[in-house]
Amino acid sequence: MRPILAIASTTVGEAIRRKVLLIILLIGVLFIVVAPGLGILSARSETTVLKSFMLGVIQGVSAIIAVILTVYMIPNEIERRTIYTILSKPVQRWHFLVGKYFGAVASLFLMMVLMSAVMGLMFFLQQQSKNPGEVAELMKGPMMYFVQMSLLAAVAICFSTFVAPLVNFFLTVGVFLVGVFFNPLFQSLQDNQNTAPMVKGIARLVNTVLPNFANYNVQNPLINPTSAIQNEGRYYLGITVYGVVYIGILLIIGILIFDRREV
Amino acid sequence: MKRRTSPLLLGVLAFAFLCQGLLQRLVIFDTWSKDYNPGKGKMFTGAMSPDQMLAVLGGFREITAGILWVKADTFFDQGNYDAILPLIRLVTLLDPNEIDVYATGMWHIGYNFTDEEQRSDRRYIPSALALGKEGTRQNPDTYELFFEEGWLWYHKIDDDYDNAVKWFKEAQTKKDMMTARKNLLGMAYQRTGQIGNSIDTYYNLYDEAVKRYQTENAFGNHQNRDTLESNLDNMLVRKVQRGVQAELEKRPLTGYDADPPFDVGFSVKATVVEPNIIRFEGTWNVLPVGTRIRVVLRDADYPHAKAAGMEWDYSSDVNLDPPRDRTFMQEQLFVKNRRFNKKVDMSKDPTMYPFTSDKYVLEFYYNPRSAPPHIQDKFSWSGEGLTDKNYLRTDVRPNQRVVFCSIPITRDMVKRRGEWVDKVPVVKTQNYLESAPDAGRGDDDAVLKIPSLRGSSGK
Repeated sequence: MRPILAIASTTVGEAIRRKVLLIILLIGVLFIVVAPGLGILSARSETTVLKSFMLGVIQGVSAIIAVILTVYMIPNEIERRTIYTILSKPVQRWHFLVGKYFGAVASLFLMMVLMSAVMGLMFFLQQQSKNPGEVAELMKGPMMYFVQMSLLAAVAICFSTFVAPLVNFFLTVGVFLVGVFFNPLFQSLQDNQNTAPMVKGIARLVNTVLPNFANYNVQNPLINPTSAIQNEGRYYLGITVYGVVYIGILLIIGILIFDRREV
Repeated sequence: MKRRTSPLLLGVLAFAFLCQGLLQRLVIFDTWSKDYNPGKGKMFTGAMSPDQMLAVLGGFREITAGILWVKADTFFDQGNYDAILPLIRLVTLLDPNEIDVYATGMWHIGYNFTDEEQRSDRRYIPSALALGKEGTRQNPDTYELFFEEGWLWYHKIDDDYDNAVKWFKEAQTKKDMMTARKNLLGMAYQRTGQIGNSIDTYYNLYDEAVKRYQTENAFGNHQNRDTLESNLDNMLVRKVQRGVQAELEKRPLTGYDADPPFDVGFSVKATVVEPNIIRFEGTWNVLPVGTRIRVVLRDADYPHAKAAGMEWDYSSDVNLDPPRDRTFMQEQLFVKNRRFNKKVDMSKDPTMYPFTSDKYVLEFYYNPRSAPPHIQDKFSWSGEGLTDKNYLRTDVRPNQRVVFCSIPITRDMVKRRGEWVDKVPVVKTQNYLESAPDAGRGDDDAVLKIPSLRGSSGK
């Protein structure tokens, strides 16, 4: 466990020093700060627009950070040959991979906490303390986004064990978009009576096999709290377990491939 | 040296894969579909599914909808109404919780497409209703769109008031229903002829208003209570004077205002004075002002048409492209001094009045349920005090006595083509008298003496 933690903490330090990530983070925070001014775009729906925009910024910026942070992680170590100094020590390859992943997730966590805190503050100020409980309610969004982004980081780490960073970038973004699409698309196909049974079957299969990022888009009821949701906790627990299991799958695949790779 | 794959690791991988699949299918998907699907509440549209659009736009859909709606507002200020329609559709698809956009969109579609003489394009009304229905499905917990849907029936369609009652009643069940708007259910009940329900509604609202005023001594509460009291008083008096109470008690109607029924002596002549311009002249023996006779000129086979209207509610699809090759003109003929005379010009708006079919029909319709109270004081709510020797119909609208007449007309006549190039096309009812200036009016003794609540003649 110690090598994993050591690698993870080093990765966090590296991530925090990477200027490109900090700039993206800064832009995200700035967007969140100016968000209350966008309420004019929708009469009587200022709160809706504010929540939507801030959650959208957090999700978008986190996704960019997660991808940029992870696609270069393993290839850079190999390219700079720093991996040799690590692997020459009593460190297994899987220690290295898992450590890198945990480091990336920890960095992501820190950045998302910062954005969420700014969001909470801005929302609290805009609402003029009318309903502080709403701020806590709103935080459910970033919490689920964090699981979503951890899953995205796992996808990128898995790909980074066998493809070049640029290819990895497009692959990861592609999987993310497909994963975000799939629940709605599957729902549409399922509801459409004209869809051929075979197409429905294929959609169901793909929906079951690929990582389903749309599960974590829980913002709709947070933005439009018009209907009471039953078993909310059960759902959050379900998608968190799903995320952890899928992250495990991706890391195992990554370990299996990385173990065989010539470095 | 080639590394050996650990069977344990492969086993764990297979097990984990199975677990995630089961979790997704058995635990997550149904809950997601029910509660988290951004397009929940099925959209009935043939366009790109809202789910897909929403997914594309991710977390920014509300803001995108807001920006588009601001753009729509600009178009509205410029009078570019056609440009607003796709934006309304897009905004409601992006953010189905934009109640204002649904409400404004319904109003805009239903009211703002007009010809040069400010006549609404009735071909759009089904789309406006469909948009409202979609809005209610997407926002079932708030009263607003239920109310707006009812209002469109009550005010714009101004007929088939059962639908207004249906939607107002639904709006009434929502917690956020505005107090002042609740009164409209009582009004709508009146217009369906359900006088008992109307009075019950007013009594209930009055009780609520009294309690509210006792709880909070505010001007608005005071005003609301007094308004309801006045409505209730009027209803009770009218119920008695118009003979509804007597009818309920199975007493003869003799002596009540609605007895004997008054013959309105309807007659009409339609002259195509120029291509696509028709002058309507006719008689209506009611002297007090306030009578509006509906005239409709439509394709003889207009889809979903019915007497002097159509099955407005026929579609649940929001189709912003109405049947552009069809014509449906609806206008009101105002009666003054027992006559009406109005020129309807359809020549300047070929897109609204394309006249592409060969056969058309002119329909004239008067329904006492839409009449103002001082006229209803004689005709009562469902036409009990109304008759017409030639055109009284009881089969056109259920449980109502209305005046209705239908006259066929051809495109060649309307457009002054073919054999009508040199002749003036005229269609009229058989009882229309051409010669006298008072044609069809009858003698002065036949003038309706409208009783008022104070018992004066109203003449």
